Amino acid sequence: MTDQSAVSVRGVSMVFNAETSGQVDALRDVDLTVDPGEFVSLIGPSGCGKSTLLRLIANLIEPTAGTVLVNGKSAKQACADQDYGMAFQQSGLFDWRSVAKNIELPLELKGWDKAKRAARSQEMLDLVKLPDRGAHMPWQLSGGQQQRIAIARALASHPPLLLMDEPFGALDEMTREHMQAELLQICEVTNTTVVFVTHSIPEAVYLSDRVVVMSAGPGRITDVIDVGLGKNRDEDTRENDSFYKKITEVREALRGAELGDGARGIEDR
Amino acid sequence: MVTRRARSAVRRSVLFVVALGLVAVGWEVYKALGPDAGGDIFGWKLIPKTNDRVMPHTWEMFAELTRPAIGRGDQQVWQVLLGYSWYTFQMSVAGLIAGTAIGVLLAVLMARFGIVERGLLPYVVLSQTIPLIALAPQVTAIRGSLDWPQWTSAVALAAFLSFFPITVSTLRGLQAAPAASLELMASYASGWWTTLRKLRFPTAIPYMVPGLKLAATASVIGVIVTEITLGGLRGVGYATIDYSQKVTSQPASVYAAVFAAAALGLVMFAMIVGCETYVMRNRPQEERG
Ligand SMILES: Nc1ncnc2c1ncn2[C@@H]1O[C@H](COP(=O)(O)OP(=O)(O)O)[C@@H](O)[C@H]1O
Ligand SMILES: [Mg+2]
Repeated sequence: MTDQSAVSVRGVSMVFNAETSGQVDALRDVDLTVDPGEFVSLIGPSGCGKSTLLRLIANLIEPTAGTVLVNGKSAKQACADQDYGMAFQQSGLFDWRSVAKNIELPLELKGWDKAKRAARSQEMLDLVKLPDRGAHMPWQLSGGQQQRIAIARALASHPPLLLMDEPFGALDEMTREHMQAELLQICEVTNTTVVFVTHSIPEAVYLSDRVVVMSAGPGRITDVIDVGLGKNRDEDTRENDSFYKKITEVREALRGAELGDGARGIEDR
Repeated sequence: MVTRRARSAVRRSVLFVVALGLVAVGWEVYKALGPDAGGDIFGWKLIPKTNDRVMPHTWEMFAELTRPAIGRGDQQVWQVLLGYSWYTFQMSVAGLIAGTAIGVLLAVLMARFGIVERGLLPYVVLSQTIPLIALAPQVTAIRGSLDWPQWTSAVALAAFLSFFPITVSTLRGLQAAPAASLELMASYASGWWTTLRKLRFPTAIPYMVPGLKLAATASVIGVIVTEITLGGLRGVGYATIDYSQKVTSQPASVYAAVFAAAALGLVMFAMIVGCETYVMRNRPQEERG
């Protein structure tokens, strides 16, 4: 049953600093299944464990309890096989490498030869619409352009899964909306499954097939909302009534989840 | 960007020359006004004599460079000093290279194995409190027992002085990689040594540059002190001793040798700056020196 899903999280708990005064129940008993090709957002107040869940899927940390499967394999195996790419809020590009060389980093680590790497990085540069920036240094690009390069790097080895932690969180609103539309296009073209952490309700609704609502203390999933806006979203989608309805639905789910411990850090814009 | 860097380099050079000029002016003013035979303050001998033997004129020091060197046929002092400097320079470069190799190796081991850092770092710090002069005879004894040429003593002591700033700065640099970048490498299932090569080491380079600058001058000092302490090495350090014994006949020559030593330190420093400019050419402005 789990073998068909891109991500399968079963009964996962994560406790930091167990049995000390600083003990944190970052996640308790979380279940989540993501189907291949699906776009799933995690939304919730700061500290509810969104990043923790993403890092568990990425095998950057190991759960205290429960299992995480990616493409039917253990998270560890999926990591070794490079079944996913990652992008964070900070683009995390290496200053000392040209843009093209940054995109080629994961390919280099996989042992691809030079010609093949160069061809793929150019392909990725075309995909993120920065075809002639390969020779630039990352710090010569704008924040939005850097983030596109980070996405290009994450997708360079054509992984079936993309894990993103507030990748547009540091961008201005205009750039952000533009990047969202482009991300959808890219995922459509490459048929990539995405797990996307965000603070922004409109962003989650615009991008996702499903929005996973989380709450803190201990971190858990309180609601899962099917967005159902269809695959062909564009700038007009943002003006649709159904778009606004979904935003309201997610907001209420968040408010419901936060009754008692107070909503923090949710962007209503 | 380049023009701004060039302009600041010019400004620094001008300031350097101006500062040097001010020191020379101060020297000459004191020489002109101060008492020839020195003097007392409240019975303490605190005012240096200003006669030509103790305080030669600044222009004498420069003129000295083009006078014939005693006992060197028709060679002038600057030619002799250049020969000495070249000798010291080679040992200093060798010492710097050895010190850098040792320093980087230690830093990598400390970054890789926390236990090595905790165990070794106190000794690394302690090593720098040993006076070089106390160490020189021991190093010579060991070198002698190995039958290595004499100059290896100077290189060893230069390395001993220069490895420390390299170790400290490299270790700091290796630990400076941002957590997000380390996670990125972890998400590629990259091992420690690969992460060292692709991430930690490139991150460390801007941190290593100031360490290398200190190490370069420390290496020159190490060689010069060795030359002064041990006989037989004919470099700039030897020249300062040799000339100070001839001080009655050519009082300004000691200063000429000191200039040569200072110039050597500057050349070593400039070499590192040259490497820095090359290695850092593609880094963002705020990371460059
Ligand atoms: N490495 C860690 N050590 C200790 N506590 C942590 C660690 N990582 C996260 N936490 C804690 O776990 C909780 C969830 O954090 P996180 O997943 O980063 O939240 P979010 O991304 O939703 O803002 C927070 O209370 C945070 O302080
Ligand atoms: Mg987070």
